[in-house]
Amino acid sequence: MSLVFIPEDMDWVCEPCGERLQPGKVELTYLGNAFHVEMPVCPKCGAVYIYEELALGRIHEVEQLLEDK
Amino acid sequence: MDQKELREWEAKCIQEEPPACRAGCPLNVDARAFVLSMARGDFDGARAVLEKSMPLAAVTARLCEAPCEVYCIRKDLGGAIAVGGLERLCIRETSPKGKIPRLPARPRKVAVIGSGPSCLTVAFDLARKGHPITVYHLGEKPGGWLRGLDESVLPQAVLDAELQRLGSLHVTFVAVPALDAALIEAHPADAVYVGQDDAIAPDLLALLTPPDPETMALERPGWFTGGMAGREFRFISAVSQGREAAVSIDRFLQNASLTSSRVPLRDGRTDLFTQTFGIEPVERVVPAGQGGFTREEAVREAGRCLDCQCLECVKHCVYLAEHGGYPKSYARRVFNNSAIVQGMRQANTFINSCSMCGQCETLCPHDFSMADMCLDARREMVDLNRMPPSAHWFALEEMRSAKDAQAALIRHAPGASASDAIFFPGCQLAGIRPEQTLRLYDRLLEIEPRTGIWLDCCAAPAHWAGRREEFAAVLSAMEKMWSGMGRPMVVTACSTCLKMFREYLPAFGAVSVWTLLSESGVQAASMGQPLALSDPCTSRHDAQTRDAVRSLLARLGQPLAELPMSGELTECCGFGGLMDNANPALARKVAQARVAQSEADFLTYCAMCREQLARTGKPVLHILDLLFPETARPAQEPPAGISARRVNRRRLKDELLARHGLDRGPKEPWEDVRLVVSDEVAAMLEERRILEDDVRRVLFAASKGGRVLRHAGDGRVIAASRLGEVTFWVEYREGEDGYEILKAWSHRMRITGGDL
Repeated sequence: MSLVFIPEDMDWVCEPCGERLQPGKVELTYLGNAFHVEMPVCPKCGAVYIYEELALGRIHEVEQLLEDK
Repeated sequence: MDQKELREWEAKCIQEEPPACRAGCPLNVDARAFVLSMARGDFDGARAVLEKSMPLAAVTARLCEAPCEVYCIRKDLGGAIAVGGLERLCIRETSPKGKIPRLPARPRKVAVIGSGPSCLTVAFDLARKGHPITVYHLGEKPGGWLRGLDESVLPQAVLDAELQRLGSLHVTFVAVPALDAALIEAHPADAVYVGQDDAIAPDLLALLTPPDPETMALERPGWFTGGMAGREFRFISAVSQGREAAVSIDRFLQNASLTSSRVPLRDGRTDLFTQTFGIEPVERVVPAGQGGFTREEAVREAGRCLDCQCLECVKHCVYLAEHGGYPKSYARRVFNNSAIVQGMRQANTFINSCSMCGQCETLCPHDFSMADMCLDARREMVDLNRMPPSAHWFALEEMRSAKDAQAALIRHAPGASASDAIFFPGCQLAGIRPEQTLRLYDRLLEIEPRTGIWLDCCAAPAHWAGRREEFAAVLSAMEKMWSGMGRPMVVTACSTCLKMFREYLPAFGAVSVWTLLSESGVQAASMGQPLALSDPCTSRHDAQTRDAVRSLLARLGQPLAELPMSGELTECCGFGGLMDNANPALARKVAQARVAQSEADFLTYCAMCREQLARTGKPVLHILDLLFPETARPAQEPPAGISARRVNRRRLKDELLARHGLDRGPKEPWEDVRLVVSDEVAAMLEERRILEDDVRRVLFAASKGGRVLRHAGDGRVIAASRLGEVTFWVEYREGEDGYEILKAWSHRMRITGGDL
């Protein structure tokens, strides 16, 4: 999968850290497969934001593919 | 599924059996494909069908006596299709397809004695296989009795052209004064065919013993014959015997067995079933002129073809029709899916989409059960850890939740210390119609005061999902609970529970609540207008319950509108077999197709059927709406939905416990999180299978110090939690009346180190 997933609207602040989200390295795993991608994270605590379009689009597609593999 | 099981499944489906016409053709011409091409006006395509199976098609099609017509299924519905007439028109109106392909030359020679139709067939069939053939004939030109035919029947130029084509296949024609024994002596060959449909000399005839009827072999090795007189169809029988002899000669020249794996002539025998019920007779088209059909007449006549197919199951099942095949081809699909070691298992969704309703098995002349095949496949997938985790996840979670401490309950009646009967409404009735469930229970208490109550799920989802271990564990736990209640008779309002109990917990002696009510009398009123009664698919083999429901309705004076696929032939609403989980779009189509079968409002006695069918917008009543009018819900009421079902089960348990002066004990801490959900958002949650309870749990966790994201511009908030196998995300605003939910979404993929 292509590696960078950043939504148009990045105007989100992590609470309680108070930090604006920034692109960061994230590892996603499903059914024993791992993917290294870039997505919005809190630079302080590392919390990750999986936005709606990504969850229902690419992530859902990959989940289905892996389930049928 | 292994190879042996595949063969067994395949053998049950007869769709690939030949139609009667083809089975009746000694040359195995695909008459159905030929006639259908003619009906489309594709005469070249039709000729190609003939040339595929006929020797010297320009001759054979002109003289064929069309024995297929004897077997045509149309024969009692206006007369058999005039295949013979269509063949002649087709062959007149089209040209040969071009060069006949020939296999590489082979060394061993064949002598064909005579040049009648059987001889020319032997020459044609063997020459194509590369054997060098010499045809010995009387007279100036080969053809035997074909030379004596009228020009209107077989123009000599056509015969000449076909013989020329034979020549191009390395067939040599030799004119001889007599077709006698000396001829064979003088021209030794590796195999000899004597065509008795030509003027064979008496001395040679005297040498011929009756041939083996299957192989046309004579006693003398390497000698074969055919074209004997006395058959009903002089021409086509001779051609057929020539063909059988050619098969034998080819095998003989390769030192192969003449009989092993040989496909016998079918003489019209086929297992293909063709439903003719409801097909109107259409009279045969009679050619207006002397010369046979015109093109227009031929197309019309061919248009009478029934296109014999079985497809009994496919015609009635949206699921089977949706996937473009029929059970035999589906068996191969399931087998291939199971055989894949690396790569995509493309039939997973197909296997998981069957509603297991059993209609196909009832319709099938050979009892092919897609339900059994798909259930076996699902079990195998589960056992091999290949079942897609998301396929049945929601239904299994629903089952587990209906069995958890917040929703499940088993108790004797208030004030009673034992139960003679116990009411098991079924988890869906409890979730969809909690007030009516209570009302029904009250009625049962009037009939039998020692009737306990049992809120639970029968575990059908685990069964349908192919999860044998979980299913067995649940059954065992239920049996213990039931024993603990003193083994009362189980009375259920759900056809699925009833079916599960009868099959897997027969000791329950389960009965349908509708049967009980029909025996005890009811006071209620009819709706007046006729309703289309849709039997739940799990009542297919339960005539007792179906009859009880009809008897109840008759007593109410409720008229019923006709619904053709009812009773044993009833159809699924789209929920059965967890179709709605694995393939929600297909489940919608199934429900749409079902409600389209009657103009009348629908009536059912399964809560989930009510839910699924009502989702189409069709007015649908549950039988409880008629039996207890004071609790009736409008037929137009939308379905309860997944979120309300959870809340309703908890409330029902609360109400039942309150009758005992008890309560449910500690509530879930998130239960009272207040949500503001618009209709649009509710529809989004429903479609995405996100429960309001899930949303509550996410928000509760966030309120207890969980991380959230807040939009710097407009203050929207996003929270997320991993609940079991799924991470749920909720976007909301905090308001005075509670959380205003804007969106929610979910995924199964995990983030290493956690989400928010």
